This record gives sequence, C-alpha cells and structure tokens, in this order.
Amino acid sequence: MFPETAAPLFSHAVLLKGLRRLSAHGGAGRLQARRHFVVSRCLTAKVPPVRKPRERVHIPGLDKVTYGERMHVVPGLAKPVNPRWQRDYKDPRFYMSSPMQEMPLHKEKPCYVYSQRTNALEGVLQALWLTKTKMISALPPHLLSLAENPVNQIPNQDERVQNAIKHARFWDTTEDRTGKEKYSNTLLLNLLHLCATLQSSHPAIGRRIFAEKYSLAATWKRGEDLLQIRGQNGLLHCSMDPLPVVSGKEEVADTADHVLKTFYPVSPTIDLQKIHVYKEMNSSGFRSDTPYPHAHTLYFGEQDDARCVLRPDQFRAKMIMFTFGNALARAHTLYGTKPQRVLDQPITVQAVGTNGRLFQFLVFQLNTTDLSGDDGIKNQLWLEDDVELYDFAKVRPLIKKKQVKVPAGLAGYKPETFSKFLALYLHGAV
Amino acid sequence: MAARTRLPLLSPKNLPPFRNRKLVHTEAAVKEAVYPPIIPSLTAKSKSARRRQAEEQVQKIRASTVQEKLDLITRIQRQKFVVYPQTFARNPDKWYQHFTKTAYIPGLPEKFTPVQEQPEAGESSPTAGDHGSEDEAFTDIRSLVTRVILQEHWHIKKRKVFLYRQQEQVVGPLLRNLVTGLTYSLAKHNPLLLLSSLDLNPQVNFYWRRGERIIPKGHRKGRLEPTRFQIDDHPHSQIRITQQLPQFAPMDASYTAEVPEITLAPNLMPLFRRQYDNHIFTGAKLPDPACYGHTQFHLVPDRYHRDRMAQQQQSDQVEVFLRTNGLASLFAWTGAQAMYQGFWNHEDVTRPFVSQAVITDGQFFSFFCYQLNTVALSVEMDANNPRKNLLWGTESMRLYESVQDGEVVGLNDGVIKLLVQFLMNQP
Repeated sequence: MFPETAAPLFSHAVLLKGLRRLSAHGGAGRLQARRHFVVSRCLTAKVPPVRKPRERVHIPGLDKVTYGERMHVVPGLAKPVNPRWQRDYKDPRFYMSSPMQEMPLHKEKPCYVYSQRTNALEGVLQALWLTKTKMISALPPHLLSLAENPVNQIPNQDERVQNAIKHARFWDTTEDRTGKEKYSNTLLLNLLHLCATLQSSHPAIGRRIFAEKYSLAATWKRGEDLLQIRGQNGLLHCSMDPLPVVSGKEEVADTADHVLKTFYPVSPTIDLQKIHVYKEMNSSGFRSDTPYPHAHTLYFGEQDDARCVLRPDQFRAKMIMFTFGNALARAHTLYGTKPQRVLDQPITVQAVGTNGRLFQFLVFQLNTTDLSGDDGIKNQLWLEDDVELYDFAKVRPLIKKKQVKVPAGLAGYKPETFSKFLALYLHGAV
Repeated sequence: MAARTRLPLLSPKNLPPFRNRKLVHTEAAVKEAVYPPIIPSLTAKSKSARRRQAEEQVQKIRASTVQEKLDLITRIQRQKFVVYPQTFARNPDKWYQHFTKTAYIPGLPEKFTPVQEQPEAGESSPTAGDHGSEDEAFTDIRSLVTRVILQEHWHIKKRKVFLYRQQEQVVGPLLRNLVTGLTYSLAKHNPLLLLSSLDLNPQVNFYWRRGERIIPKGHRKGRLEPTRFQIDDHPHSQIRITQQLPQFAPMDASYTAEVPEITLAPNLMPLFRRQYDNHIFTGAKLPDPACYGHTQFHLVPDRYHRDRMAQQQQSDQVEVFLRTNGLASLFAWTGAQAMYQGFWNHEDVTRPFVSQAVITDGQFFSFFCYQLNTVALSVEMDANNPRKNLLWGTESMRLYESVQDGEVVGLNDGVIKLLVQFLMNQP
C-alpha cells in the first residue's frame, strides 16, 4: 500500500533517534523551547537508557579471521576492526582532545587552582590560611595620616567627589537611573580621575600606568598541597617604583608568634579547582623588561564578572588571593622560586574593591615565600571592609506614611572614605 | 404741549462743545481695543489654525526652562533617519555635510599651525630656560607615548587576538592609557583639565530636523513633513570641561563657506528610518557642571580598518570615513551642548560652540575641529540663515612605523605635538 521509499510512520528507529537527539540537549524540559514541525511522531516518551557498546576483548596471539580481505560479508567470519580514521591536518571544528592521562603536562600530584571565579567557602579565613597571613582589621595609621595633610588633598574635594558620585549614579545615562555594573565601574573611574589630577603637584604619579586583561600566574606549596593562582583580575595600577614597606623588621619578626586560624573539619583547599594537567608557572603577566614592574594597586569590582557574583566575604577572599598572587610573582622574579624564610625587602601591594557604594581597602605585605609550614614568619594584611561612601543615592524619594524618610538625590555622603581611597592612591608618591 | 414739527437749524453756536473739538487739529486719542485681536482659531480644521498651533508651541518652548525645552522638543516620537557616524555607505561625507549644513575646510585652524614656526602669542618672553623646560616636557611626553605603545604591543603577555577583535582588545586599552596619560601630564599646563570630567565609552545623542518632503502615500498624502534625523554615537572617550572653548573663526567668516547641496532623498544614501525615543545628550545630564566639550577620541573599528578596506578595493573611502565620523560625532556633541544652554531651532546660538576630535586606528591619527554656528536647520528658519557650521580636518598621519623587539620604530613627533596642542587648547 505505501511506497517503499517513504519512511514509515511511528517507526521505532525514528522515535528513538528523535528522542535521543532531544535528550542530548537536556531532556523533556527543553521541549517547550524547540519548535515541533513534525506532528506524526510522539516526542514525549521516556528516553531509553544509554547502552554501552559491547566490549570487544582482544586476546594476544589469537587473531580472529575476518572477512576484510574478501571485501564482503561472509557469515561465520568476524567483522574486521579498522583503526580509527584521523585527519592529517588540524580542523578546529572536529577536534577531539586526548584523554587526560596522555596529555604531555599530566602529573600524578594534583594542583589546586584559585581562579577569578572561585567561590571560597570559608572566605577570608581560607584566604589567610592559604597565604599564611596575619590580618589586622584597620589600615596602617601612617597611611591614613597621608590624606589628612592638606597638601595631599584635591581642591574642593568634597564637592568634586559628590559630583563624581552623582555623575556615576544619575547623570551618566539617558534613562532615569544607571544600572549597577555600569555605575560601580563609572564611579571607580571617576574617583581615579579625581586622584590623578593631583599629578601636577605630585609628579611621581606620572610614573604609573594602568593595565587590564593581563594574565597572572603564581605557584606555591602549602603543606602537602601545591597551589596556584591563575587568571585575569580587575584593573592593575602598576608603577616604576616599588611601594614603601609598611611594617618594620620587629613587627615582621613578631608575626612568627601568631597562630593561623584553622577551620577543621573543612579542608583548606575546598572550592579550589583540582587539576592534574598543569604547568608550574610564575608570571606577573608582563615581560621582564617592562618599565612598570611593580604592582601598586588592584581595583576589583563586584560586578566585573556577570556570571559569578560573589558574596562580600568571598569577594574579600578573592581580593586577598590576587593581591598575594601579584606579590608572590614579583618575589619569585626577584628572589627566585626557592622558598625564602624572610625577604630582605618585603613586597607591598594594595587593593581596593567596590560594589558602587561599599569599599574594601586592603594592604598586603609579603614577608616570606616559605609557605609550606604553619609556623615561622607570616605575611601581613591590613583590611578595612564595608566602608560606606554614601548612604543613599535615590532617584525618587522614599516616602513611608506620607513622610519623607530618604530624600531624592545623594544622601549621607562620608568624606573619610574618599580620604582613605586617596591615601592608598598617593602611597609611594608623596 | 406743542409738538415741534420743525426742528430748528442746528447752528454751530448751539452745538454741544465736545463735538466741535473733534474737528479741530487734535491728536487722535489712542483708543484701547475693546475687543480682543482677531487671530485665527486654535482648534478649527484650517490651515491658519494649524499655523497658529505651531506658533503657540514655539512660544511655549521659548518660555520654558532648559529641561522643559528639551522635553518638549523630543516629546513626540516619529519616524526619523538614524544617522550613523561610522557608516559603510560610499561618499557619505557630502550627504552628512548637507544634513548638518557644514562646510569642510582641509587643514586645521591657525591655532594649530605646524610647529616649525615659533608661537609668538603664547610666550611673553621666550628665554633659553623656557625652551629648555618645554623640550624637557616634550621629551617626557614622547617617552610616555613610547611606553604606552610598548605596554600594549610588547610588554603584556597576550594570547593571539580573536578575529576582528584586534581593535577592541589591543588598541582600545592603548588609547585609554594614552588619553589618561597625556591628560594628567598636561593638566599642570592647562588648568581646564584639572576640573574636567573624563568619560570612557560615553553616549552622545542628538535629534534635529532639516528639509522637508511631501508624503507620497498614506492618509497624510500630499502634506509636507519635516525630515527628522537622530545621531546615536559612542565615542571611545571624551573630555568635558566647565568652561567653553574660544571660537576658531568669527561667525561671519562662515557666510561665504560652501555646503554641498544634495537634491536626492536621504534614504538613497542608504539611510534608514526608525522610530524610538528622541535623545539629546552630551554625555551627562543637564545638572552636571562640566557641560561643555573639549576633545573626543574615536576608535576605528575592525570593520572599517584600512587593511580590510584595501581588501575590498575601497582604499579611497578610508579618509572619507574618518571625515564623516568626525563630522557627525562633533556635530552631535556641539549641537547637544548648544541645546543644554537653551539654544534650539527657533532661538539660534549667540556664540559659536567649539569642540575637537581625534580619530585613530592605533597607528594612524586624524585630527578634527568643529565650530557650530547655527542650530536653526529646519525649513522655516533656514531660508534666511546665512550661517554655516565649519569642520576643519587633517588627513590621517602615522604615529609610528612598527614595534620591533621592544622598540618603537619611526615615532612621528609632529603627531605627538598636535595631540599636545589639542589637549592644551584653553580660553
């Protein structure tokens, strides 16, 4: 009745093929997204389980007689097994990578990698443990006094900072309000622009440059584990001159008495990516002859990576780890990769993180590269977290029960936050 | 009672005295109008009513604040031509000059003469010390430019760049570092830059009307409709300042300039119509104190890079593209600045608005200066308007030949000097 060439309706093969194709893209949940032009077959049946192909055992010395030479099927003879065909040129559309064990950089010992999308469970504590650091919850006082000095202040500082905030929050767009990732970025750039106008009175600021999208790599051993930091992180302000040392030799020697806080039973390498294929590299992201070798400040924004939004504690951990990574990469270039118990000239790097309103300020001093044991001299960290720049920046006033609780516009501006920002910026240039 | 059947002759003696006074030479008494003036109706279905509605609207806009003016001018959405500063069309500069009533003058204004001549107006007493410090400052700037170029091309370890992403990933950061580095180094010589505002990847929009057409088809067939244009531009970066830059040439000088006339309809360019919100925006809203423009920096995207144009046998369009970009972007920026000061179609600018632009693809730089003399471009105001807008521009100049082994080969000092002069422009 039906012509032989027509495909049979409701055939088992067609059903299976269709369902397998559908299930490969995510199961029945994706059915709503696909357009069904075929009305003749059922597409909502259960997906049959994947069957593993029969394992063919090869017994050495016992070769099967195949019909390969005869070029046609002979019942009773085995099917010839031909070697898998491979292209003699590399086509990126059909690239199959070799299994992990056969890759040239495969190593037995795993390496734990901290990348820019790592969401560390224990946050700051984990970062302190991994970098063998002692934390102090305030910025160093001599740094804060830098900004008190009227020479180091911008003329009309308060007014200009408030204009910068209003520009970032209200005036930067044709819409009513700016989106969060846009305004946090614009605010940071506006504040940096304000600080940089001091170059006329502080010429050392001219010996710095910005860099983005540079790839950092640093490796170190912590106990039994090999750890690495890799990735592109935020905006780097690098300088021709190193930052001055923040704490003297006695304080550095005192850190040997500090005991690092553990968070047993959680392992310190939790949430770090465990890989077996790696190269132990140490690179600051620049060539060795760069005129700006010293990392001065890193600027992080919470909204930089839209796919990975970190909670405040995890964001601070990321700041600590990447600051440490920059310092360690510099130490390895200066002093070699062999662990040093105490560095002659400790390396200082700063970091600032923001979400558009709250700022986190960080100063990191690398005192030692001998990080395998838990005792001995530790690195130092001064961290001030969740410093508000202003309370509210509302387009429409908040009115509760016919009373204005928060007026429209900028409310609750705090000038001290910008002084700290400026102090960190001017550190090393005064 | 005797009814008088005959009235006596009215003799001049008996006439009431007031009537007499009327006949004698007196000044006509100014009579106050008892009835309101006779003007066409406002709501009738007549041409005079339509005219009166338009006049009322113009009076209403004149009488309102600047923010209200902008809102009233951009209130109604209609189909408009979207003008792209970076366009694939062939020879778009003539078309855009016609739309914006701009005359092109090759070369730069006298202020930016090539540096072989000694600028006498600047220094009062040029001493050897001054020249020495100038040379020193110039050497510093030169080394800054070298370092910036090397940083992006040589020092940063980068992966191989994706196809057609070279400009965005390599030249973008280079230009940003160059702009910031130069601005802050020159801030001590130009106090305007100390109070300036630097925008990275801002938005500039402008909406205007020019010309008319008769609607060919539809329920409004046969009626006159003004042609509306909108520019939505995204420069790479721009510097906005709190004071206005001085003019390059007096407004009267533009009366004799030539603007090409194009009789064809704009959609033949090709230019396409769309309808969406009309925006007039300089880069920041009205309350921002830095409302005047100084310099814009534009990046040539990969699509219009000269190597790709050469592959498509369109090398002659490279300069045309740069000129068009400078023209459209600067017209939109200066127009928006003028609107922010309250000038619009029916209230023309009383002082010229001036801005500058630098367009680059990383290696080649072109410099443009624009002076906006008139915003009155619509049909009713353009009939008696002798003013024209002026664009000065250069051809593209190479900044450096290449980067080899950590060295910049063939750095062109002239281009650096022009960049410095552009940024040093101040009233």
